[in-house]
Amino acid sequence: MKQLIQLIGISLIVGALLILSTKLIDPPPAKGKKDVIYVYNWGEYIDPALTKKFEKETGIKVVYETFDSNEAMMAKIKNGGTPYDVAVPSEYTIQKMAKEDLLIPIDHKKLSNLKNIDKDFMNLPFDPGNKYSIPYFWGTVGILYNPEKTKGIDFNSWNSLWDKRLNKDVLVVDGAREGIGFSLNSMNESLNETNPKKLEKAQNKLIKLSPNVRGVVGDEINTMMVQNESDVAVVWSGMAADIMSENDNLDFVVPKEGSNLWFDNMVIPKTAQNVEGAHKFINFILDEKNGKQNTEWVGYATPNKESYKLLDKETREDERFYPDSNIRKKLEVYKDLGKENIAKYNEAFLKFKMSLK
Amino acid sequence: MKITGKLYLSIVLAFLYLPIFFLIYYSFNGAGNMTHFEGFTFDHYLSVFQNKRLIVIIVNTIAVALLAASISTLIGICGAIGIHYLRNKKIKVGLLTLNNILMVSSDVVIGSSFLLLFTVIGHYTGMGLGFWSVLISHIAFCVPIVVLLVLPKLYDMNTSMIDAARDLGANSWQTLTKVVIPHILPGAIGGFFMALTYSLDDFTVSFFVTGSGFSVLSVEVYSMARKGITMEINAISTLLFLLVMILILGYYFIKRGQQKRSLKRGEN
Repeated sequence: MKQLIQLIGISLIVGALLILSTKLIDPPPAKGKKDVIYVYNWGEYIDPALTKKFEKETGIKVVYETFDSNEAMMAKIKNGGTPYDVAVPSEYTIQKMAKEDLLIPIDHKKLSNLKNIDKDFMNLPFDPGNKYSIPYFWGTVGILYNPEKTKGIDFNSWNSLWDKRLNKDVLVVDGAREGIGFSLNSMNESLNETNPKKLEKAQNKLIKLSPNVRGVVGDEINTMMVQNESDVAVVWSGMAADIMSENDNLDFVVPKEGSNLWFDNMVIPKTAQNVEGAHKFINFILDEKNGKQNTEWVGYATPNKESYKLLDKETREDERFYPDSNIRKKLEVYKDLGKENIAKYNEAFLKFKMSLK
Repeated sequence: MKITGKLYLSIVLAFLYLPIFFLIYYSFNGAGNMTHFEGFTFDHYLSVFQNKRLIVIIVNTIAVALLAASISTLIGICGAIGIHYLRNKKIKVGLLTLNNILMVSSDVVIGSSFLLLFTVIGHYTGMGLGFWSVLISHIAFCVPIVVLLVLPKLYDMNTSMIDAARDLGANSWQTLTKVVIPHILPGAIGGFFMALTYSLDDFTVSFFVTGSGFSVLSVEVYSMARKGITMEINAISTLLFLLVMILILGYYFIKRGQQKRSLKRGEN
């Protein structure tokens, strides 16, 4: 009896003390006051020094939380619960959220730094006029490869993936839009193609790739490529940058036929309680110096042309992550094709996966 | 036979502990990745201690685990005794079934239903997700475990002991604290530790009910996955592993000390 009371008593006291101690380490914002904003972002997707700087400059406390997928984030915002003021979804999710009336229109007049954003990245089909979202980072889909081991193959074209020499050597990210997408790209078709005949063609072409495919994988690509388990992978540019920072032998290219252009944009959810603070935060991120600092920390491509100018020359001229205007013209943003068409994409990709041996 | 038995045990243990040691080993890796070892360093530990947000999250995780485990042990013991002494068979079976359903139902269901519940509560009271929602839901999924671990102890208790205590003049409270609870103690303590580990490693339920700046480690680690797991995670895992190890060893030694003392005194 004594033992049980001790065990429970001590853990209750220690637990309570620990909770109180966190309040000392990181004092919580006073309730109901307008001097706090809740930011919901991907893990490791902002320089922590920047949130501190923002707190110092404006006196608004930043409560920062992270998520790992667009779907999870949307589920939480839809339900309310936490009054997130700023969130950072990807483009197709923004379109969905706008459709479901989960977002508050952004007041462009309050964003004095909006002029810093490159015009190329504004007014895109998923959010015409940037009514609901402001670009945060962007990237592409391309081929990550080991030049030493794949000598003689020119990865400047998607068709190079079908090269016979790459037997069982290609990793593909597990995404229907990405998989069917590069197959469509290799035939110079649009990534938002909905014509069933063309989709079938893309599917059949992808099935022909199966002898070359080592695996259709998710986050494991990171480790597999770092450890040289495979020589070629179709990945997002941000992922490629991460892998390359750990394995110098690799190179990345966005094929000349074009590719997907993806975005993570800042939005203000309907649940926001400090819309004023949210605008201040977005404007703060858009500042050229802050943008530069964040870009250097995160390592993805910035849509902020003033920040871009401040980056060191080596990064700026890296065409793998900041493709030149010729390729940029061919990049396409995914549109929300509607449930029916997405199902077709999934079906086609599934057939490809089943064809793997 | 003895050798094969030992061999089997060591293979099982190696299988269980190798990944952990692998992870600990790389937490000292200077190269900052898991591919090759490149010199010994404490850098990852330093960066954990310098990251205020991460520290708060670690402390949160431990605090919630301790609170949830202790409160659910209390509730669980009461529940188990209550169920055991119920006269009405139908209600008894019904309660047990309800308890078991909670044990086997998937975390996603529990998590999302808690999210809905707390959102509704939040609408009326203005209390959103945060510390309380996490604590309450952790208690909720820990209680069935404690009940399930305590019940068998109650079943195999000799009922004549209670009669004897009654005959010797013990009142209900004395019977409970001097006879029943000492008997179910191993089950209760087992339940406490099970609840502790359940709460520490729960991701699914926590994901749904964290909010308003209150987060736990599993949710945080999971959302780091997009940018690749950093070595900080290795360092945190190592620290947690050591902490749990110390706790369990401490408990073991305290218990052994008590047994020795009671043997000397001629009890038992």
